[in-house]
Formats: sequence, structure tokens, C-alpha cells
Amino acid sequence: MPTRPQLWDLDQLQHSELGRTLVLVTPSVSERAAQLLPYRQIRTLAELSPDWDSLIVIGGGTLMDEAKFWRKTHAPDVRLIVIPSIWGSGAEVSPVVLLNRQGTKQISVSEEFLADIRITWPELAASIPLDLARNACGDAWAHALEAFLSPLASEDLRHELAEVIRQMLGLPLANDARWFDASAQACAAQAKASVGLVHGIAHSLEGPLRSQFPTAGWGHAKLCALLLWPVMAFNQQQSPRWERLMQAHKLDAARILQLLKDLHDPQAYQQLLPLLDQHWLDIVRDPCSRTNSALVRPASKAFFVDGQFQ
Amino acid sequence: MTPKEQLRDLLLDVLLLDPSEFRFDLTRDEIPTWDSMAVVAIAVGVDETFGYHFTPEEATAIRGIQDIMAILQSKGIAFAD
Repeated sequence: MPTRPQLWDLDQLQHSELGRTLVLVTPSVSERAAQLLPYRQIRTLAELSPDWDSLIVIGGGTLMDEAKFWRKTHAPDVRLIVIPSIWGSGAEVSPVVLLNRQGTKQISVSEEFLADIRITWPELAASIPLDLARNACGDAWAHALEAFLSPLASEDLRHELAEVIRQMLGLPLANDARWFDASAQACAAQAKASVGLVHGIAHSLEGPLRSQFPTAGWGHAKLCALLLWPVMAFNQQQSPRWERLMQAHKLDAARILQLLKDLHDPQAYQQLLPLLDQHWLDIVRDPCSRTNSALVRPASKAFFVDGQFQ
Repeated sequence: MTPKEQLRDLLLDVLLLDPSEFRFDLTRDEIPTWDSMAVVAIAVGVDETFGYHFTPEEATAIRGIQDIMAILQSKGIAFAD
């Protein structure tokens, strides 16, 4: 078990001696951050050199991952403190970084990427637009379910994830600060197993979708929310593993599927179909798809493109 | 479909091979796509197709298609033509 990141609250942060500190913050919360944290805000990571003591990053998964990567490669002795402004990615607890480079996702894994301290700032939940909050819930659900069903998960890990899933079933698909911790738990557990086809499709299509629909807001979380229902329906239909694991851990499979159906947006899914068709073999080859709960084959495309899950 | 045909189709799909490249005596060293992720996918596919779940020791010891067939034969699955 990694000892990092330590979990602090905001009060601890405000009353700790952090040394020379910079703050990298997403624009939507920079004003509030300036009121609470008396440190210089920076706009780019290039301003962070090794002679600083601490970097506080307040933002989503992309910003946190860029900071984790920059810290490891440019300033490894700087203390990294992360505060997610939205849940879902789990970047605040993960040794994985996902970088958007030349339209593709570059994945790196190292314990050295782990932040030193993570902080939950409940107030930030209210600042998230509802559609983004719902998608972030989908991201968290994708981590929890794909890790729970992963062929690489141990029984102990599944037990831990089943508890997280039960907790998540009690949360609304909306702004609720409890998602910060549920999402962090799901992602920390997922890092010990693998994800599956939801992530395999998302990683393969994020670049093409951004190129084709640059202003449509296609992002990882939106794809997760959209794909969970078809992928879990595929897993359920393709293999007895879904039912077996749900029953063994006393999870309400029907309720979970209904919740995933509520997250699904049929109109957005229609927009996805041509790219799903075109990139299916890339999806089959994606490492995440290869650790899916049910085997993903070239012929599995029909299930998704012909809408057999509906 | 016979078990032998089912295994062949499964491996073609997981290892993304052209049917003309396939032989039942292929080893892992001969197939660049037979990486650690493919081992997981083969285990998932064998479980779905034949109802047998490799132990971690079995999965990591597999060096070729003959090894997969030997494990499944030891569980009562016959691969006669």
C-alpha cells in the first residue's frame, strides 16, 4: 500500500508551514482560492522550478496529471499538494498520469507520480455545473465497476470495491461533496487492478472526437457516463462473470444497471456510432479493453453499433 | 463448432492474427501481440468459452498454444479433430 498521498483537510493546509509555495488553480475557482490561500498563483507549470518548496494544485484530472508529471520530471523535491475541483478522475490518489499529446492519450505509471498530500474541499462541489457533475459521477462509477469486475482484481480488493459501490449507490448523480471521497476510494482501488472496455473505448475515441467536434464538450468523463450502460450490458450478456461477482458480493445488479441507464444519453450515443464503427479495432487492441471483464472481440462491434443493448 | 475450432477462433481474436498465420504449435515468442495483456484476455476468453479459469500459476507458465490445450485437456476438454 502506498503511504502517499496523506489526506489533509483545508484547515490543516492553512495552518501548516509549507515554505515557498505556488498555487496552480483552474480559473473557475481561482478567486476563491486566492481568498483562502495566501500564495502566488501561477498560470503554467513552467514557472515551477526546483527551488520552490511546495506546489498546490487545484483542478481536475488533466491539471493534476500535468502537475504530477512536471513535478517528477522537473522538480522532484517539491511537495505536491492536490485539491480536486471535481471528482471522477481519481488523479489525486493515482500513480497513473494520462497526458493529452498530439491528439492521443499517453499513459505513464510510477509511484513517483503520487502526490504527497491530497485535500478534500467540500465547498467546491457546489461550483460544478450539473452536467459536468453527472459526467464526473459516471467517471467514478466506471473506475469502481471496471475495477470490481477486472480479471486482475483480488478477492480482497473486490470486497473493498463492493463497499465503495454500495456507498456510491446512496449518492445522487449530481453535486454532492461525498463524491470526492467515494471517487478517490474507487480510483485508489482501481490502481491495484485494471479498468476495462469503457476506458478502452474512451481512450481510443477522445482524440478523434475532439478533432471532429471541437466545441461539443467531448471529454473522458462524458464518454464514461455514456458508455457505462452499453459496456456493462455487454459484460452481463457475454459472460456469467458479471452475475457471479454481483451475487457473491451481494450487490444489487438491477439497480446498478438502472442507474447506468439513467446516465446514458441516447442522442449523444448516436453521434458516437460512426467513430465507434471506424475505430473498433483500435478499441479491441487498447490495453484497457484487453483486461475487460468479458472478452472483447472484433465481432463484438455489432453489440455496440447495432444497439443490441437497448 | 468443435473445441479445437473454438480455441482457434478465440486465439485469432485475442492475438489479432490472420487465419493464414495460425498453427496449433505456435509459441508465445513467435507472436508479438502475445503480451501480458493478451495473457489476461486469453484467460478471460477460455473462461467464457470452456468454463475453466486458469490459476495464476497456469496462466504465467503458458509458453504456447500447446500448453493451453494441455491444461484444458487435463480438465476433460478433448481437442480431437
